[in-house]
Amino acid sequence: MNLKSYLDLYALLKSDISSREERRSFGLIHVMMKKNSIEQLLAWVDEHKIKLKRPLLSETFSSYLYSVTVTLMLVAFVLGLVSGIGLLNYSGHEPVNVIYFIAMVVFLPVFTMTLTLFSMIRANSSQSLLVHISPAFWMEKIIHLLPHQVQDNLKEIKINPLLANWVVIKRSQILALAFYFGLFFALLGMVATKDIAFAWSTTLNVSPEVFHDFLHTLAFPWRDLYPSALPSVELIEQSQYFRLGDKLSEEMIQNASRLGEWWKFLAFATLFYAIILRFMIYLLALLGFRQAVKRSFLTLDGSEKLLKEMNEPVISTHAETEEKSFIQEDAVYGQIVPALDASYDMVHGWAIPKEQLAVMRDSMQVISPQLVEVGGGNTLEEDSEIIHRSHGEVLLYVKAWEPPTLDFVDFLEALSKQVDKVIIYPAGTPQEHYRAEAKKTDVWARKLGTIHNHKVWLKR
Amino acid sequence: MNGLHPKFAVVGHPNKGKSSIVSALAADDSVQISDTPGTTVKKRSFPLKVDGKILYELLDTPGFQRARRVLAWLEQHNVPADKKHEVVQQFLYEYKDDPRFSDEIELLEPIIEGAGIIYVVDGSKPYGEEYESEMEILRWTGQPSMALINHIDETDYSQEWKRALGHYFKMVRTYNPMQTDMEQHINILESMAQLKEEWTASIKASIRLFERYHEQMLEQSARSITKLIYHSLSYVETLPFFLEEASINEKEMLEQKYKDKLRSFEIKNQEHIEKIWNHEHLQKEETSLTFEDLDLFSEETASIFGLTRKELLITGATSGAVTGAGIDLFFAGHTLLLGGAIGAVVGGVGAYFGFNELSEIKVLGKTLGKHYLEMGPMENRSFPYILLGRAVYHTTQIANRSHALRGVASFKVDSKFKEKWLNDNLRKALEKYHKKFRSAKELDAEELAEYERLILKILQTLVG
Repeated sequence: MNLKSYLDLYALLKSDISSREERRSFGLIHVMMKKNSIEQLLAWVDEHKIKLKRPLLSETFSSYLYSVTVTLMLVAFVLGLVSGIGLLNYSGHEPVNVIYFIAMVVFLPVFTMTLTLFSMIRANSSQSLLVHISPAFWMEKIIHLLPHQVQDNLKEIKINPLLANWVVIKRSQILALAFYFGLFFALLGMVATKDIAFAWSTTLNVSPEVFHDFLHTLAFPWRDLYPSALPSVELIEQSQYFRLGDKLSEEMIQNASRLGEWWKFLAFATLFYAIILRFMIYLLALLGFRQAVKRSFLTLDGSEKLLKEMNEPVISTHAETEEKSFIQEDAVYGQIVPALDASYDMVHGWAIPKEQLAVMRDSMQVISPQLVEVGGGNTLEEDSEIIHRSHGEVLLYVKAWEPPTLDFVDFLEALSKQVDKVIIYPAGTPQEHYRAEAKKTDVWARKLGTIHNHKVWLKR
Repeated sequence: MNGLHPKFAVVGHPNKGKSSIVSALAADDSVQISDTPGTTVKKRSFPLKVDGKILYELLDTPGFQRARRVLAWLEQHNVPADKKHEVVQQFLYEYKDDPRFSDEIELLEPIIEGAGIIYVVDGSKPYGEEYESEMEILRWTGQPSMALINHIDETDYSQEWKRALGHYFKMVRTYNPMQTDMEQHINILESMAQLKEEWTASIKASIRLFERYHEQMLEQSARSITKLIYHSLSYVETLPFFLEEASINEKEMLEQKYKDKLRSFEIKNQEHIEKIWNHEHLQKEETSLTFEDLDLFSEETASIFGLTRKELLITGATSGAVTGAGIDLFFAGHTLLLGGAIGAVVGGVGAYFGFNELSEIKVLGKTLGKHYLEMGPMENRSFPYILLGRAVYHTTQIANRSHALRGVASFKVDSKFKEKWLNDNLRKALEKYHKKFRSAKELDAEELAEYERLILKILQTLVG
């Protein structure tokens, strides 16, 4: 898990290349990872990375970032080297004041490391203010100075601010390490190639004993292992230097050979405060960075959805096939009877009992010698017999709310062959006083329209 | 597809609401529903699938057309009860290519292959003897069956139906497909589970999944609404101009573009919500105007969904006080908490006077030689509540709409809707995020997730 995999996930989520079913299928195949979201996301990135267009955004970004980091590391190393040479530059007239060097390799690193720790604490909450003083922050800005084509490649990247903070914190430590390695090599090189007379000098009223106590405290990590790397009180006394006067003190000149012994202390101070402690801070930053990548993985826009879709079952209830489109025809039927005649040769009721038919006939003041129930509970033979007996004009009551079935159509066709005219009367329920709703009659009109029988008429 | 899962054939007389019931039970609005008999000519399968595995299958079938003829043919065979289903099988074999019985073949085939029977009748119309031949045919199949009384109209004949259906079916239940009642849905599934012992486990699992499915839909809706609010509030529209000063026409054009963009965000969200709730075939009177004639930026919309001046004053004051309190905290209280008080007054007054304004039009880029007008992000404090109110309202309407409903959907606006979902505490919680959205800064996915949780709670309260 690193910045590259984060950027790959970012690019994959942005391009949204997988369907809901594919994501679930992946979740089911990798069901063992269900409890580890990060592992699941990483596996998903690995499997789908191949679908991303080349060159990968992550590779482009990492490659530029790597080049810029290496360049700045070299610059930092050279700066460290030059600073070291500058600090240890001994003209032969005045000794080198170790306090400058101690400030550079102890106090400055301790101060910047404290700031770094503060940045680390703040990094999780928001864009850290302290990040802006870091050289690595400016390294990010350098990317904007890259050629347009490079910038175009990187334009689409939006890194989580939390992760960006940790990227900067981590890289700042690398640059600081490079700088102090430069300084350390400068110290070793200068000591090896030059005879340097070290001294200490301060405006403050500090006695050699107090200064020794101070150095003794500073040297706590190595003083027991390498006692020679801690200057003695005598050496401190001998190397105290006062600027007043135009020549060096007699004592200093007498002990000139011993003044160089300071280098061991300076080398250990650089090694411990500027390099080892910084390296530990770097490891801490690495840990924080990994945690930030982990957190950013989970908070990346779309990753929560992706995890849900991997781990939640795909539920579907709909039909798999599209239904053939149905076009409803107009309810226009040409053979309409606006009013019933006073009498008919026969009155039939399709699935309407005889008693109810009588009520309907009376309420509509229709005279007919015969009332017959057809369809409904009748057998087909009974209906055939009724058709055989039918003649003249037949009034056929139907239940308007029951749509015409093919069973009815069969009966109607047989009946129309036998009689002169059939008037279909769609009736409503008794509660509706046998008056049908227009839309129900429309259903009948549409059906009769498909039969094309000149003997069949509809009462509307 | 395996053949071991339970199947249920929804059968009955033509036009008795079989397709409506299937549409509601399967939450699929693509089923063709019409008052013309014979709309369904082929059986259609609606499987409940979980990760591709079918838990049960509903089959929408054509209605009986020549039931008396089929029954007459069956009754010609004098066989004991245990052989009756074989006679039905024989009928299917003999008449499979006969167009006269195509509907009966379509509906009987799955039953003979093992599907349970759900016989649908319309309880709002009187019982008729003509149904008996259909029920008798179903009895011949020997398959487990239940009857569903559907109420297409207001009148109620269910008692006479229950008496008749009781003679033929093990279970008689009432179901209204026009109501989207989760409890009603689950009751029917539980009845289906009782039809055959082997089906119980599968159907019970389906019930749990249906509940989870409902929850998933709520979560997806909350996510969609969150995106809508965030994108709308942070959106910035620009328009270049070429003279020294921008004309009124150009300013109006920019405002129009800005509003149109926000409207398009709202429409996109509505389409997404409709897709989530399987209402993709929903017909609306006009796509751009969702709620009768209430445009997103109309005064009527603001009066129904937006904050009142009093609420706006409180919201502005609270928001300002929070900023002020931050200043107090920074100075460790040495400001005598004046920061909070001043913040509240400034925030409240600002909100009050900015009641009708959306966002200031800014002229930018003059020093660089490029002139352009900019509008956004949204400054109006009431607007997020208008947009959110409309989105939540639309979602509740869609979530509560039956899949059996056809025709043009029109959403009647409930003037008291705001009272149902927005209270002082919620407004305070939402305002915190609206303020961040308005700042147009890149937001942490975690913050959006927190806002999403608030929306989910609202939807859970309103939809259930």
